[in-house]
Amino acid sequence: MKADPRDVFTGTYYIDGDVAMAYGALAAGCKFLGGYPITPSTEAAEAFARIAPRAGARFIQMEDELGSIASVLGASWAGQKAMTITSGPSYSLMMENISLGAAMEIPFIIINIQRAGPSTGVPTCTGQADVMQSRWGGNGDYEIIALAPDSPQEGFEFAVKAFNLAERYRCPVMLMSDECVGHMTEKVVVPEASKIDIEPRRFYKGPADAYLPYKRDPDLVSPIVKAGDGYGIYITGLSHDEKGHPVLESGNSYDLEHARALNRKSTDQYLVDKIRKNRDKIIEIQEENTEDADVVVVSYGISSRVAYRAVEQARQEGYKVGTLRLITVWPFPEERIRELAGRVKGFVVPEINYGQIVFEVDRCAEGRANVVLVPHGGASVHQPEDIYAAIRQLLESKKRYENVFEFRTILERKVFGGGMLKNRS
Amino acid sequence: MDKILEALSKGIEKSGIGRKRVCLVTDILYDPEVLETLKIDLFHTSRGRTIPFATGMKLANPKLKPVVIMGDMATLGGNHFVHACRRNMDLLVICANHFVYRRVEGESASGDYDTVSYSPYLLFENPLNIPHIARSCGSVYTARWTALHTDELTRSISHGLKKKGLSVIDVISPPAELLDFYYRHSEIRNGEDTIHTGIEEEKKIIVGEFLERERPTFIESYNRQLEEVLGDQFVKIEV
Repeated sequence: MKADPRDVFTGTYYIDGDVAMAYGALAAGCKFLGGYPITPSTEAAEAFARIAPRAGARFIQMEDELGSIASVLGASWAGQKAMTITSGPSYSLMMENISLGAAMEIPFIIINIQRAGPSTGVPTCTGQADVMQSRWGGNGDYEIIALAPDSPQEGFEFAVKAFNLAERYRCPVMLMSDECVGHMTEKVVVPEASKIDIEPRRFYKGPADAYLPYKRDPDLVSPIVKAGDGYGIYITGLSHDEKGHPVLESGNSYDLEHARALNRKSTDQYLVDKIRKNRDKIIEIQEENTEDADVVVVSYGISSRVAYRAVEQARQEGYKVGTLRLITVWPFPEERIRELAGRVKGFVVPEINYGQIVFEVDRCAEGRANVVLVPHGGASVHQPEDIYAAIRQLLESKKRYENVFEFRTILERKVFGGGMLKNRS
Repeated sequence: MDKILEALSKGIEKSGIGRKRVCLVTDILYDPEVLETLKIDLFHTSRGRTIPFATGMKLANPKLKPVVIMGDMATLGGNHFVHACRRNMDLLVICANHFVYRRVEGESASGDYDTVSYSPYLLFENPLNIPHIARSCGSVYTARWTALHTDELTRSISHGLKKKGLSVIDVISPPAELLDFYYRHSEIRNGEDTIHTGIEEEKKIIVGEFLERERPTFIESYNRQLEEVLGDQFVKIEV
């Protein structure tokens, strides 16, 4: 299905990432934004509020973040594509209902323009430290999809992609941007509606009396109906069976003996399986020069742009350095990292935190390749020199590190002294 | 069946708005088999977030009439109640009033009234005057009944379903063995100023229809304001 021309504001713009994401959401057919302002995401909500009434979309400033995310779930059940935009501590406030949304299997997206944390942190400056929270912030087991754009153009494109994935897999999708991309102003091309592919909502088409809200298709995703369609659906955040009715007797798995005895199974495990078993279709990465690389720089979001300069410099000097950029941060491309780990000397992972994705890389490297973290406390981006120095350090090292090694940035060494690496354990 | 659900079912019938349009949004568990007989959609959300959930539903599809059954705001979500009244969202809010934590809201079976687990040494806290809060925050229809005022409650629910804007019905719903006690100790005073409807010890519980007024709903105001500013460019919310 192609985008509705009414939703697409075709043109070439000079706008920041926040605004581009609002354009992207509208182009994807988003008709509802329940928001509560927080720096540095406000420009996105402002842009949406300004443009939306012309595309038949609605913006409401809710009384708080808890209200925002709850209204998004409600709007999505009423049949509209819905999202909220947030950052920092506001994202934390939404966790309970993200978990509920995952349990109810209702499609929605959250744009998180990450800022430096923890807590109130540095509101106006960048960070990438919500990556783990985006995956496991809410209580209980569930899987989500997270995307990380590295430019305003990608902000537009990934917003469309995020909605498509949410509708396709009936799950929350996080657009994990950051303050730098959010506030970076660049050329953004919004194509014509006929060039934008849209995933329509997977509405149920069978006979009305045979509808079961959580009866799954072979890909583990179930068709959906709208509130008010007359199906008399029972939707709950409690563990439930195919009918949606609570299964309180048997705990959390669909194959427990007791559940079998009652002939009622909770569908909880599918929340995880429907993403994990479809991960080949979901995962997107961008690789350059990894075929003959000795070192691969694994990065995402704004850090991948900063890393690019360091990689370029190293390659000019004759070092074999490749890049692997995560477009989907979650699910994580485990298989690919495993493959690479068998033949590279090591991975360098620059991220604006003190180690989140790097541990995923280390887990998949399985001790076969060195893993070096180039950390950053947030509020600004890395110095490319640090990433370059980490690449050199890794190439020159003779031994196998046992754990993730943390590269000590030029600034850190100036302040604290000592060598270039320290063992994380 | 739970007294409130029973009245809701009859109220929907009486109002004639059609079961398809009614979506029940709650934060407690209801028996799915009872809901099946009601033939309405039910959304059991996270605790205290019923009103914003219903707000999102209403804005996304204004043809729906979400009905919220919530506790008496002693739990979570009081702020949402205040703002829904202020906006005059087109919802019907039914408060299952059990006087601040005296039992889990909506439970039709009961425990020992005086010694619930969170207050093993009896109770000393004062209940909220819900009709008064609703009125001062901007609701357009406010009533209170005990759960045994079945006919009156049905009538109020039917009225609230048809009324445009935020209607609040405070239902005194103590454990089953005390229903009769509260029913007997209530006094009907329709049109009473809500300043006098506080629930106090040793005094009668004032019930009745307290408030009926007209205010533009959120969607009406939204349409009017944006049409004024944007003119032809504005895509109106169809009600």
